[in-house]
Amino acid sequence: MTNTSRPIVRIHNAETNEIIDREMNDAELEAYEIQKENDKAAAAARAQKAADRAALLTQLGITEEQAKLLLG
Amino acid sequence: MATTTNYGWTTPDDTALVKDGASAIRTLGSSVDTTTKALNPSTTLGDIEYRSSTANTNTRLGIGSSGQVLTVSGGVPAWGTVAAGGTTILASGSLSGTATTISSISGSYIDLVLVIIGRVHGTANKAAAMRFNGDTGFNYYTSVTYGNDTGAGIATPPSDWLRTGGDAQATGTSYSQENIWIPNYASTAINKIAHMRSYTSNPSSPTLRHSIGYYASTSAITSISIMAESAATLTGGTYILYGVK
Repeated sequence: MTNTSRPIVRIHNAETNEIIDREMNDAELEAYEIQKENDKAAAAARAQKAADRAALLTQLGITEEQAKLLLG
Repeated sequence: MATTTNYGWTTPDDTALVKDGASAIRTLGSSVDTTTKALNPSTTLGDIEYRSSTANTNTRLGIGSSGQVLTVSGGVPAWGTVAAGGTTILASGSLSGTATTISSISGSYIDLVLVIIGRVHGTANKAAAMRFNGDTGFNYYTSVTYGNDTGAGIATPPSDWLRTGGDAQATGTSYSQENIWIPNYASTAINKIAHMRSYTSNPSSPTLRHSIGYYASTSAITSISIMAESAATLTGGTYILYGVK
């Protein structure tokens, strides 16, 4: 029975020019879930870095533009 | 006996007897005939001649095959086949699914060029991404310079995929373009690099990027997966993969 909840991937065989749309297999699904987690963690890290930067600017009493000028 | 200046054909002297005229003409004609044939040894349609190492004697060169060009071999003209070159479309189509993978890429080219036009993602503000050979490891490194109408910067994106462009838009007509050149992709001796240039038409942050990607693997690249950050779906756009010799 087909599990329709799985994401679809497109495979284009450059040798035969055959294009197949199919559900992810187990390995692809595992990689898909890992990628989402990795990217979520990376996004959180970027957001934290931005928040830390904003907090530091506030602490220093300067704006983003002034910080850029300062750093050249 | 007198002779001509260039080819040394024998001609009658001024004092030669008239009765010997027929013989003299026959001798001269024979010489002319021999010389002409030596200078024009063609026998067949398309033949050409070139000077041989012997004076006043040309060598016949028969016509080559279709597509051949005149070249030089061993110091003389010869027909030769031009080495195959140029660009071949290996695959083209529309982006779809969580990833669009171009598989079974022939290793008989020197470089690959992948062009992606009009990329649209199912989720806004997700980066354009790519993987090789289905490799999900942290084997991708990218040095990015980017800019838009408000500034410029550098970025170090996640390394379990290669960032090929900025954040794609989620709806509407996308004018995004990515041009990715992968030299020596079939090598099994060196790690791979990718030169990536892109324009992303995300309305909130249209961005121009110039990136160098590094794939830490000596495996020949036989498949390329076009994908998006956070596994966002590909809902629009086309791709063309070229093999370059």
